[in-house]
Amino acid sequence: MSTSTNILDIKNIEVMYDNVILALHDVSLKVPKGKVVALLGANGAGKSTTLKAVSTMLASERGKVTKGSIDYDGTSIDKQNPSQMVGLGMVQVLEGRRCFGHLTVEENIISGAYSRKLSKGDINQELEKIYTYFIRLKERRRSQAAFTSGGEQQMIAVARAMMAKPKMLLLDEPTMGLAPQLVAEIFNIVKELNQKEGVSILLAEQNTNVALKNSDYGYIIETGRVMLDGTAKSLLSNDQVKELYLGISKKGRKNFRDVLKEESLTKKKIN
Amino acid sequence: MVDELLFFMEVLVGGLLAGTMYSLVALGFVLIFKASATFNFSQGAMVFFSVLAFCGFMQDFNIPFVLAFIMAALLMVVVGLCTERFVLRPLMNASEDTVLMATIGLGYVLEGLAQAAWGVEVRRLDLGIGDFPVPWIADNLKLFISALDITAGVVAAIMIIGLFLLFKYTKIGLGLRAVADDAGAASSIGIPLKHIMLLVWSAAGVVALVAGCMWGARAGVQFALVDLALKALPVLIIGGFSSIPGAIIGGLIIGAVEKVLEVYIGPFFGGAIEGWAPYVLAIFFLLYRPEGLFGEKIIRRV
Repeated sequence: MSTSTNILDIKNIEVMYDNVILALHDVSLKVPKGKVVALLGANGAGKSTTLKAVSTMLASERGKVTKGSIDYDGTSIDKQNPSQMVGLGMVQVLEGRRCFGHLTVEENIISGAYSRKLSKGDINQELEKIYTYFIRLKERRRSQAAFTSGGEQQMIAVARAMMAKPKMLLLDEPTMGLAPQLVAEIFNIVKELNQKEGVSILLAEQNTNVALKNSDYGYIIETGRVMLDGTAKSLLSNDQVKELYLGISKKGRKNFRDVLKEESLTKKKIN
Repeated sequence: MVDELLFFMEVLVGGLLAGTMYSLVALGFVLIFKASATFNFSQGAMVFFSVLAFCGFMQDFNIPFVLAFIMAALLMVVVGLCTERFVLRPLMNASEDTVLMATIGLGYVLEGLAQAAWGVEVRRLDLGIGDFPVPWIADNLKLFISALDITAGVVAAIMIIGLFLLFKYTKIGLGLRAVADDAGAASSIGIPLKHIMLLVWSAAGVVALVAGCMWGARAGVQFALVDLALKALPVLIIGGFSSIPGAIIGGLIIGAVEKVLEVYIGPFFGGAIEGWAPYVLAIFFLLYRPEGLFGEKIIRRV
């Protein structure tokens, strides 16, 4: 793949928090334009840290990219701040939805257009377009966001991000704590946004099965390192992924490190 | 009987109107608390600084009233600008306690600057409104209510309606409410915290100027205005730190309660309970309703 077809290109980044805590050791990842890429891994693997490194939200948590490079749309992001990144068309939907609880659903969504200079008429037009994807939100437009359900709040968060007219969305665990039916609904919307609006998507998920079924490509990270990557199809049929992430288990192995340990043991035996 | 009722009404109305002056001071705190979740200890110094600058412009440079007021308001915007640039931005990722300490420091800087520039003596501020009962009301309603109190009430009402419209119907107001709810999420969708901080500090500065004018006209423009901000503390505890309606109602309650208690219960304690009665009320609120009347459930201790 040449660089021009990748909207995001992360090369060997290392991330530290507070100058001491090493959160990412070595993560490289590419998102081709117009594709959906899944970033998979357990709690604390470094998914959120990777996304925040990309959206430059790391700085507000005293984190820093100490090695490697991140290129978005052909330019390096190391001098940008989050509101500049939004201006460049990259919006992150933070983990845990993070709606503005005291604002109405509609005010939440409109706040997403803050970075754009739009007239009232333009905003209403955009709003109507957004509501075609999030029909449920239109019915609840006047409610206070804090009183909506978890699924609705996730939709608000994605709708709000879409109001910024992004070229690329970073979704951090969009299905966390949602019922299976809502998980499917959220992913349907994400797929639709990807196909109709041409938004490239990088999503972090623990829900490996659903995430891979709705993505083009996947990366699996563990303790701050990429352990495996491949097309979504190949990962879904990969025996190790099946065993470690999809719960179709044979032995007591729990992660890729265990697999590597076993492999080196058997190698030693053969030698 | 009628006389007693009239007297009670007079005390109550006087208290309520004086309460609007507390509301004005408290409003400045609420603005900053909403955006940065910090109790701004320099609010009292801002009141002192702004009104002393206003007096300085008028009395030392003979600048007309309206122009001097506008200049003082602009000066407060500059103060807001400098605060954002030199205090808040470097402390962007610091803990809220650090920012809290910084506001204490800022307070001392402002007090010092004001006195260095305009001297330490008490100044008289004449707004052209006397602090004496309005004859028309005294004749027709038999209530003795100060013209200054009425003016303060009207001005406070105008400021409050203005701020309400600003927050509810403008883009930057929406941005402010978003930041107040979740600053991280607001920055993730491209709302520049910088602009919002600038807005609230400038608005708090102008509110401080208006509050300073009202208090200065009554008690003289002097260093004691700094301590006035302390009176806003029970107001905020009762109303809730993050609520604009709370600041208003809290101010009214404090104003009314302290005057009524002073008149009816004061004699049993040898008078002058005005000074501490609001704090007793605040303690009851802290014990039984720590989030205040209108505050959000989670309250920060300061």
